[in-house]
Amino acid sequence: MNARGHAQPVGSDFAPESGADTLIRLPPIRVRTGAGEVAGFLRETGGARTGGFVPLTFPVRWLALPAVRGLILQLIGGQGFLPVQEGQSFAYEHELRIETDYVLDIEARRAAKPPRLILRMAVSTGQGEICAHLETVLRIVPLNLEPAS
Amino acid sequence: MIEAGTEPMPPDWPKAGDEIRAQNFGPFTREALARYAAVSGDDNPLHLEPHAARAAGLAGMPVHGMLIFSCFEPLIMRWRRDLFIARLSGKFLRPVLAGEGIRVSGRVMRRQDGSRPELILRLTARGPKNDLAIVGEATVLYEIPGPLG
Repeated sequence: MNARGHAQPVGSDFAPESGADTLIRLPPIRVRTGAGEVAGFLRETGGARTGGFVPLTFPVRWLALPAVRGLILQLIGGQGFLPVQEGQSFAYEHELRIETDYVLDIEARRAAKPPRLILRMAVSTGQGEICAHLETVLRIVPLNLEPAS
Repeated sequence: MIEAGTEPMPPDWPKAGDEIRAQNFGPFTREALARYAAVSGDDNPLHLEPHAARAAGLAGMPVHGMLIFSCFEPLIMRWRRDLFIARLSGKFLRPVLAGEGIRVSGRVMRRQDGSRPELILRLTARGPKNDLAIVGEATVLYEIPGPLG
């Protein structure tokens, strides 16, 4: 992974041209909706949330967690490819609250034809109550890399 | 959040065909994209480095799709404060480039007057040439606003 975490060789076993779909589940990840992170996210997204709730799209931030990012990079295929988002969905049972701990269950499916990465995330409380489901669909785009000059 | 089946429909509850007044967001400068990358963790070079955007066949750096998608929540919550957004989904159709703004609007497609009133909304985000960047759909439920809501 380079400094920005994209487009570096990762020694992937999942080359973009491989035939069968691949499904990987990560172990549960504990996260917290820190007030500072939520405030920054609200500021940059024109947010209208008040009353201690977290912006609806805030959980996409957790796709950048090291474990998730590493999985994305691995499944994309490394250097020469970038993910381009083409779809997103959220289904909420309960709004998320600021300064609260949650548990993420994440799975990623790499579809070969067409080349897509579908990430599914369930957000639940520490007691196991489901709060939200997310699905992120990424198209995998080959880069037209110019030779170094 | 209220419990299902406990609240009557408010007298001004929207009906099918009602419009959600359009709102403008942006323009999204390069600096705004960098700030969103910082708060969301999405530092995909496609959005931050012109050469990466060119290599992906784009005329300029695209605004993060999730930054545009995030504008649907304030659109809805500024329209009415008495809603819980239970579902929100979107398809990302065309890029909006750095320096451009968007116009976001919506319409009530269906109304369900059950024990807990529900609306299905069609949402759109359009670029500067009125081209459709994201088409979305939301399911919103009636909810009595809290004291801070």
